[in-house]
Amino acid sequence: MMHDNGGPLLSIRALRTTLATEGGRVTVVDGVDLDVQPGEILGLVGESGSGKSMTLRSILRLIRPPGQVTGQVLWRGRDLVPLREAEMRAIRGREIGMIFQEPMTALNPVLSVGAQILENLAAHTDLGRAARRARAVELLNLVGIPAPAQRVHDFPHQFSGGMRQRAMIAIALASNPTLLLADEPTTALDVTIQDQILKLLQHLRETLGMAVILVTHDLGVVAQSCDRVAVLYAGRVAEYGAVGPVFATPRHAYTLGLLRSVPDARHARQPLRPIAGAPPPPDTVGATCAFMPRCGFATAACAAGRPPLVPAAEGRLSACIHGDRLEATEWAA
Amino acid sequence: MSGAAPTLSEVPDEEVVPRRRRVKISVPLALGIVITLFFLVCAVAPGLIAPYDPLAFDYNNLQVGPRWTHLLGTDNFGRDVLSRIIWAAQVDIQIALFCTVPSLIIGTVIGALVGYYGGITDAIFGRLVDLVITFPFMVLVIAIVAVLGPGLNNVYIAVTAVSWVFYARLVRSEVMVLRQADFAAAGRVMGYSDMRIIFRHLLPNAMIAVVVYWMTDMALDILLGSSLGYLGLGAQPPTAEWGVLVSDGKNFMDTAWWMSVFPGMAIVLCGTGLSLLGDGVADLLAVKR
Amino acid sequence: MLARLPGRLLQMIPTFILIGVVVFVLIRLLPGNPAAALLGIHATPEALARINAQLGFNRPIWVQFLLFVGRLLHGDLGISVSERIPVTEVIARRLPVTLALVVMAAAFALILALPLAFVAALRQNRASDVALRGVFQVGLSTPVFYIGLLMLGFLGAQLHWFPVGGIGSGFWSGLYHLILPALTLGVGLAAILMRSLRSTVIGVLRAEYVEFARAKGIAPWRVLTGHVLRNSLITTLALFGLNIGTLLGNTVIVENVFAVPGIGGLLVEAIFGRDYPVVQGVTLVLAVMVSIVFLLTDIAESWLDPRLNS
Repeated sequence: MMHDNGGPLLSIRALRTTLATEGGRVTVVDGVDLDVQPGEILGLVGESGSGKSMTLRSILRLIRPPGQVTGQVLWRGRDLVPLREAEMRAIRGREIGMIFQEPMTALNPVLSVGAQILENLAAHTDLGRAARRARAVELLNLVGIPAPAQRVHDFPHQFSGGMRQRAMIAIALASNPTLLLADEPTTALDVTIQDQILKLLQHLRETLGMAVILVTHDLGVVAQSCDRVAVLYAGRVAEYGAVGPVFATPRHAYTLGLLRSVPDARHARQPLRPIAGAPPPPDTVGATCAFMPRCGFATAACAAGRPPLVPAAEGRLSACIHGDRLEATEWAA
Repeated sequence: MSGAAPTLSEVPDEEVVPRRRRVKISVPLALGIVITLFFLVCAVAPGLIAPYDPLAFDYNNLQVGPRWTHLLGTDNFGRDVLSRIIWAAQVDIQIALFCTVPSLIIGTVIGALVGYYGGITDAIFGRLVDLVITFPFMVLVIAIVAVLGPGLNNVYIAVTAVSWVFYARLVRSEVMVLRQADFAAAGRVMGYSDMRIIFRHLLPNAMIAVVVYWMTDMALDILLGSSLGYLGLGAQPPTAEWGVLVSDGKNFMDTAWWMSVFPGMAIVLCGTGLSLLGDGVADLLAVKR
Repeated sequence: MLARLPGRLLQMIPTFILIGVVVFVLIRLLPGNPAAALLGIHATPEALARINAQLGFNRPIWVQFLLFVGRLLHGDLGISVSERIPVTEVIARRLPVTLALVVMAAAFALILALPLAFVAALRQNRASDVALRGVFQVGLSTPVFYIGLLMLGFLGAQLHWFPVGGIGSGFWSGLYHLILPALTLGVGLAAILMRSLRSTVIGVLRAEYVEFARAKGIAPWRVLTGHVLRNSLITTLALFGLNIGTLLGNTVIVENVFAVPGIGGLLVEAIFGRDYPVVQGVTLVLAVMVSIVFLLTDIAESWLDPRLNS
């Protein structure tokens, strides 16, 4: 949204990730297309098992063999999928950073926060020892940790939940990445702390000009902090577009269902209408619309084939053949 | 917004991959069952399997190597090594049972009582556990055997004196958890006696863990029993016991290696069979150890 | 870490008292008069009367215990029946060999178990992992006297790579003589450690902080040494502490197999020689060694794991 003039920073096409389980291969990311513009915050929203975390891990190729990633991940025009591990390492942390949901488990409990920043700097920068230390303190200061010069020596368990998440952000930002992948960074936090972390991400985006992909299952978080949103269902993109229009007039039956199932401050005392049924287990969806079994708008046409992700309105994409019928429905009615 | 969105689970976003529950018997478990059964048959009916009388001297065949007439060779008195190993299974299976069953019974009862009543008995029990853990198990057993005198019966006494504590510790922790369960409370409401609640309701639920531990414990006690036999503190010659057989042959390692090597293999095989059985059953019943 | 040390040392006191109680009770399990048992073949009526008066066997049991503790605190473990010299001296002469053996065995066990656990964990469920697990499963069921005998027969008697027992003379010869017994003990301990270590390493490899480290673009060997190894080491230490009792117990057997003149072999000799003061003394020393190693691993653990310090 901010620098829409150039090409996209990251452009994902037909991304497909399969994992090996005891029962055979399952597809957890099933042909995802996404664009991230420089400096924007893209929300990736969906239920558990919709493939949002797996999409993030696939971008950085953190999927371990025998898991497999295919398709295209064009990072500034360069495809990451065929890169060798060593080439990939130069991207990870340096150009694309990543933070996780639970800092208590994502930070190594036996290494100080400072040490965990230093190893990032040692891997990606030419800074000398003293310069790395100074940078570590600077980073803690940047993410709003008080008394950074002392806290840099502290271990993760000595931080509070919110401070720990800030420390993880500092570690991920150490080498100035241009894109930050944030995997449910606020889910494990109290509501007030959640808000502070989201504000911090927005602040960092503005001061560092960094783009963010924010994975969440919380529509409120998307509305509050994202420019664009991609709604994922069963490893596929259901709908993609700017947050305002998507939430105002959803063009995919699943998006509509999601919006109806959360309370809306604008319409007091509306009855919630949860979506009946549960998302399909991975790889049980055939060449149909994945949402069809739970959809109130489904017709025979929905079973005819997998609906392509096609332009639905100005700057929006939807994989629903009944997008027009939805518009006729007042969604909060 | 937690809890507000019924369709958006609060469960962290782990990709949920359904796993089919396998109820089939794994290869290691099958192997464990076969090996254990084999030694049980040897122990119950050695006369049916053993090709020779284990005690018959044969001065025409002293220390002959493995061959068709004597598959595992003969010892320095011409006795058939295979037959002696098969007959010795009786003693070693006996060691496995007599070292563990009394411990299992005593430990289960005491552990159940301690776990149910807690309080002062639990505190005393805690000290006891500390004590037993501080002493090297083998050293404590050897020391007790030293005082009581060498011999299998004293080995049983020594092992039981120590190892009931491990069973009791296991049962205690199981019962302490189960005590909180609804059916225990229901039993109390129904006015059942404590004894009935403990032994009819709580204990059966705690027994799976005990049985799994018991199987691995038998494997360990065969190792211990044969080690003591080797040192001369366990089974006393002429009783054929695998450890004793190994010890009998140790001075002939360069001339008649089969005298020691094959009985030792019997120990390894039997121990492996029992621990495969224990691990397999644990996996099958999903007992965490 | 140092702040916790005095507390941990204090906690050792009840442990030592418990050890004292067990050893005290042990001798009183002997059938008949303990004085007669302690004197063995030297039991003349005069000697019996002297020992009874000296050790207070005719006093109330709690007075006997206090006397026993008092003598312990003065380092008095009684007189060896067979050697007619203080038990402390007999043990002191033999202890260094056992200490060297145990340290070497522990080193061998770690050198074997840690890398192999890593191989098994990194190649989880592949052929090399399955093979390693099979070997160690069998190793777990192999008594140390058998491992020792096979090594002795093959590496010693057959190939003449190593001496077949004893301790030789001089420091280097001594170490050389200890290699086979230490290897025997090490293999036994490695089999025990390996089992839990493999699952520990697998757990650490799956930990999110390892994923985070990978997401930072750190080289794989740095992830392995800086994160996986570092964190697995804590569990390794804890496991080692838990199994030190087994290691010392096995020492008794292995010293016998290889005729190593340490306190383990001494214990067995003393049993057959009915030298009860020595049996009592060695039992005590072995138990004390276990609690000291417990303490050392505990200190090392809190040094490696900052969470234990707060």
